[in-house]
Amino acid sequence: MNWLESLTLKSPAGFWNPLLWLLFLIIFAIIGYIIYSRGNKGYKPNTEQVKPFISGNAVEDIEQIRVRASDIYWGFIEALKGYYTILMRMHTGDMRDYVLWYLGVGAIILFILVGGV
Amino acid sequence: MGKLTNFKRSIWVFHASGGSCNACDIEIVAVLTPRYDVERFGIKLVGSPRHADVLLVTGAIPRDFADKLRRVYEQMPDPKAVVVVGNCGTSGGVFYDSYNIAGPIDEIIPVDVYVPGCPPRPEAIIDGVVKAWLKIEKLEKELEKKERGEKG
Repeated sequence: MNWLESLTLKSPAGFWNPLLWLLFLIIFAIIGYIIYSRGNKGYKPNTEQVKPFISGNAVEDIEQIRVRASDIYWGFIEALKGYYTILMRMHTGDMRDYVLWYLGVGAIILFILVGGV
Repeated sequence: MGKLTNFKRSIWVFHASGGSCNACDIEIVAVLTPRYDVERFGIKLVGSPRHADVLLVTGAIPRDFADKLRRVYEQMPDPKAVVVVGNCGTSGGVFYDSYNIAGPIDEIIPVDVYVPGCPPRPEAIIDGVVKAWLKIEKLEKELEKKERGEKG
């Protein structure tokens, strides 16, 4: 079984073998299929049967009810609104503006380094 | 009364109360108490219609609740049965012909079993659920037969 051992990566925490991983993947896929095949045959896709139960209320569009990642930062953004307003004004999306900033900041750094302030 | 021939699984019941005075609901709760203890028969109340075989409805159903009841019924997997508990749901009861009532319930969703009473006794409710169970067994067999026919 040298070839099997050559595929095994050993570490102080355990080992990793892609063939073993594949074997488990197949076993779990078979278990999954058995559970799936024993499911309710009368199931109707694309009907109310597949929608979540919210006490009989209609399910709103996911865009309306989801929590966006930006919602987590709401307080942070609200507290630093003044700072962000300036930052957003600076981010015009115009490459010429960014080159101008690059040249301007570069000139200041050069002045500090060469000018010996 | 018919006989249950196929005890493949227990029956799960979802209870929807629309405009009920709570008397029927209290009797439904009574069937879960140690005195009646329906869970020993495999009859169990569940929290979602998506897990239920039987829909137990109480109340005369106000107009605002009609679409919600319809949605609850549609969310139940097939085969399914509906049991109406109490006079209000069966005929409108004391609210019959009232301007704000969308019921009786059989005008909103198909009903299989009626349990009249104001409120009905817990024994009557259990009897109603068992009748629904018989109906579900029949529907299940039809469904299996249909599937076999489709495969063959």
